[in-house]
Amino acid sequence: MKIVYYVLALLAGIALSVEGAIYGELGNFVGKLESSFYNFFAGTIIIGLIVLFFGKGSLGYTFRAPKWTLLGGLLGSIYLTILIISIPLVGVGLAMISVIIGQMIASMVIEHYGWLGSPKRPINRDKLTASALMLVALFLIF
Amino acid sequence: MNILLLGFTLLGGVMLSAQSSINGAFSQKAGALESTFLTFFTGMLILALAILFFGQGNVLLLLEAPRWQLSAVLFGVSYLFLTILAVPQIGVTAASIATVIGQLAAGMVIDHIGAFGGVVVPLNGKRLLGLLTMLAALYFVYRGNTRKDVSASSDSMAS
Repeated sequence: MKIVYYVLALLAGIALSVEGAIYGELGNFVGKLESSFYNFFAGTIIIGLIVLFFGKGSLGYTFRAPKWTLLGGLLGSIYLTILIISIPLVGVGLAMISVIIGQMIASMVIEHYGWLGSPKRPINRDKLTASALMLVALFLIF
Repeated sequence: MNILLLGFTLLGGVMLSAQSSINGAFSQKAGALESTFLTFFTGMLILALAILFFGQGNVLLLLEAPRWQLSAVLFGVSYLFLTILAVPQIGVTAASIATVIGQLAAGMVIDHIGAFGGVVVPLNGKRLLGLLTMLAALYFVYRGNTRKDVSASSDSMAS
């Protein structure tokens, strides 16, 4: 029943779009870095409460985990910074296309070699077909 | 020069994929909610520093911002949490492509109706065709992944 997880990932993308659209407006008012900070600040409070009451995992693992597995937040911040710098220079459309292409290449390479904690899943013809179709779609949309 | 800039922006996408992979691995041991929390918490610390040094806006204006705009955080949390749920199950590639498709499809709808005060960009034939192409891409990602799952599960049955 893995299809459920594809739907969840689609929903994640929808959430990202809505988030981006609203933060675009908020960013005009309070500043871009400031609206990103708000996201992480309020998000920490919300998810902190949820973990407190419903968390079944082990937050304590954080202190035993290999340090590189703690870098998710840093990478997210670097991503945001790159966007803040490049959007005014290349435009939203081109920036989106570049990010998406970077994402597709990186994720296939990461999985192919089993880097950064991902299980190995070799690149196959279906995945290459999918990437080619995504390129066509990007061309049509932008 | 422009190519350099695009390469730089492309690195942003690389960061996102790396983040998904790392968070997926971390969540296997610590839990999905816990992994989401850690990402938000460390992101908050880093951005707090970034604002101290480079902030050009005014954080205090958040108190005067329209309340509905503040609801965006719910989508921010959902995005990260859903990604962390999906990645260990279907892998970074499938999760990234599905996320991008959801993002672009929703973006087109948001543009079409001009939701949230943005610019109106009506849906047209080209954009719809793009949407269909993306759905085809999703099908191939799914097929590429399940094909491997099928052979893996038949192997385990054989042994």
